This record gives sequence, C-alpha cells and structure tokens, in this order.
Amino acid sequence: MEIIKAMLLPAGIMLGIALIFGILLVILSQVFSIEKDSKTEEVEKLLAGSNCGGCGRAGCASFAEALIKGEAEVSECNSTSKKNKEQISLLLGKSGNIGEDTVAVVHCNGGNFALDKFEYQGYGDCKSAQIIAGGTKECPVGCMGLNTCSKYCPYYAIEVNQDGYAEVNKDLCTSCGACMSNCPKSLITRIPRSAPIYIACSNNCKGKDVRSICTHGCIGCGICERICPEKAIKLVDNLPVVDYSKCVGCFLCVEKCPTKVIKKH
Amino acid sequence: MGVISIIFTAMLADNIVLSQFQGICPFLGVSKKSDTALGMGFAVMFVMAISSIFTYMVYHYILIPVGIEYMRTMAFILIIASLVQMIEMVIKKYSPTLYTSLGVYLPLITTNCAVLGTANSAIDIGYNLINTFALSIATGVGFLIAIFILSGLRDKIDKTDIPKCFKGFPITLIAASIMALAFAGFSGMFS
Repeated sequence: MEIIKAMLLPAGIMLGIALIFGILLVILSQVFSIEKDSKTEEVEKLLAGSNCGGCGRAGCASFAEALIKGEAEVSECNSTSKKNKEQISLLLGKSGNIGEDTVAVVHCNGGNFALDKFEYQGYGDCKSAQIIAGGTKECPVGCMGLNTCSKYCPYYAIEVNQDGYAEVNKDLCTSCGACMSNCPKSLITRIPRSAPIYIACSNNCKGKDVRSICTHGCIGCGICERICPEKAIKLVDNLPVVDYSKCVGCFLCVEKCPTKVIKKH
Repeated sequence: MGVISIIFTAMLADNIVLSQFQGICPFLGVSKKSDTALGMGFAVMFVMAISSIFTYMVYHYILIPVGIEYMRTMAFILIIASLVQMIEMVIKKYSPTLYTSLGVYLPLITTNCAVLGTANSAIDIGYNLINTFALSIATGVGFLIAIFILSGLRDKIDKTDIPKCFKGFPITLIAASIMALAFAGFSGMFS
C-alpha cells in the first residue's frame, strides 16, 4: 500500500504539472497564432513534399515560400511531377519554363565486366575507395558498385545490380539529385523521363584502350552516329551524345552498337 | 557570496560555455553570423532566466513538501521544454526573420545542458530565489558574451586563408579553446 502510494503520488504530481503546462501551451498557441498564407500552403501541397533539398533550399516549405515571393523558379524542383508543376505555375500566375520531367541515369554498365585495379578490402563505400589511387576499377570513370548512391537515395530508386554496377529504377526515381551529387565518379546525370535510350559509358578513350580494361565500354566507333535516321546522336570526344528532342526511339543504334553500350531506357 | 559576486563569477570566471563546457551545441552551431548569434544568446538568456524562477518554485514548493526531490530532473525538463515552446511561439509571431535564421537551434535549447545545468547548480548550491535569478541571468549573459565573441572570430576566420584540413569546425574549435584559455585568466577574481 505504501509502495503504491509512493509510486502514484510522484506520477500524479508529474501528470498534474504536465497537464497545467499543456493547457497553458494550447491557450498560448491560440493567442500567438499567425495566419499562414493560404496560397503558400496550397503550393506546398502540390510540391513533391520529400524535403530532398535538390532545389538548394532547406525543405519544401521554404521552397514554397520562395516561389510565392518570386525568388525561385518552378523548374528548380526536379522531384515534383510535371502536372503539379503546371498547376503551381497557374497558381502563381506565371507561365514559362517548368522544366522537363527527368530521371537520373547511371552512365556505366561495366561492373563485373570491368577490370579491377585492386581488390578493395576496407571500410566504407565508393567515396572511400575513390580516395585510394582513384578507385577500384582500371577505368577512371567506371562504377565501383560499392553503394554510395543507394545509401543517399531517399526513394530506394538506385541499386547496384547483379552485374556489379548501379542502375536507376525509373519508376521510383524523382530526380532529386542526391545520388548525382554524391557519386565520386560523377557518373549519374538527368535525362528526360520519356527518353527512349541512354548511353551507358562515360569513358572518353578510344577502341583498344577501352577494350583492354572493360568489355562493356564504348569504343568510339561512331556506328551510332552514322546509322541514326534522325541525326540525333553525335560522337563527341569518343562518346555518343544524344539529342533527346530529335530521338524518336527507333532503337537502330541499340541494335547496331557493337559493345551494347546504348541501352533501352 | 553577495549578488554582485555571483553575477560576475557566473558571467566571466565560471563562464557556462568556456569554463563549465555546457551549451556547446548552440555555441558552435549558431555562431556563424553575428546577428543570429546575438539572437540565440538572448533567447538562451531569456529561457534560463524564466526557467530558473519556475524550477526554483516547483522544487521548493511542490517537490520538497511532497518529498519527491528525486523527480527534479524530470520536472525540470518538463518545465524547460514547455517554456522553450512558448518562447518559440512568441518569436515566431513577433520576429519571423529571427525565427527562420535560428531554425532548428531554437528547440535545441530545450535539450541544451546549459539551461538544465544552471537550474541544477542553483539548487545544489542552495541559493534563494533572488540569488538563483541573478545566477541564471548572469549565466545567460556569459553565454551571450561567449557566443558573440566567437561569431566575431568566425567572421574574421572566414576571410583568412586557413589550411584545408582545418577549414570549418577544426579551426572553430581551436579558436573556442583559445577563448577558454583566455577566460581562465578570470578565475578566482570575484570570490
């Protein structure tokens, strides 16, 4: 009985103090409430709401405020869908560039097919491996497959696949940019979501040099440039560059590429 | 000890950040710019002053009579958390710029050991209400002095050429430790 009294009394007093302060806080929150601009709230609801920070601001709330004040463009947010961005533009009374719907893509498909310089036995991931002699692969821009990108992705959209290189799941990717800013090889860029193909190599060397270090690398032969009926591919510095406004998705380049570096998206 | 001696000891000789090493989180986190540092210093001072009064009264008029002094940590945290919430509401209403510039550091005052530490030391030394109030205000002023000086130092450091391995936090910590050494010169001056 005594013990119960010794337990109940302190608990009761604490509860009492907590209740008093709780009620005080509720009352004060009404007294000190501020009228939030309803427009800001509407814009904020239309935004992706992931607080990824890709726009460079602290979160979706501050991006919404910046949009209202006119300090930011809608196109700065890569995560929001195009439909929502159009609605936001309507709300703000603005027209203009709202940016393409994009996704991230990894420009490498070497992985286990790319030769290793050394076997990395250490703590950490791609960033740590990069510090040691520029990474585990012979190819200076090859994906090391040590999962830095997948650790930073807030949507679980990028993973190292069975062949040892990172791949983006385009259904989950919102183009927030977290993987892009953290890949030590800068292998990840944005392409339009509707893009039919992408180039899965970033190595600028030619022919034999590339073949000797990776069987899946681009050898800079130029077949893609010659065969494209829309002239959408150009070979720049031994790597194909796709003009997505011209590409129609005929996949001739995918068929004819000897090293299968051009992939269907 | 007279009230004057308590005030100057808490402000300089026994500075909460530089001698007692409490409240380092906002000290390092908010000291990048002088105006936010000033705002933060005032917020901490205000919280310390008010919470010391409330904690003193709760301790002496509720906890001791019922005999549950051992609950003081929990009770103090309750009080300090509610007070910080209230102050956050007031700041949000009357100075949105200060609110956004303080950002996440304002609720961090809740878990700031400096506030709880001051409340606890006032109880441990056994001051009466006036002395407790003087102690907490002086401690807050000491925190303000320290954070303001550091923000000025950091401003200067930003403009100089620091070796790459020291840039950012390392040089800030070194500057803070030199400040602590300097403030150690005050020890024993006011007692």
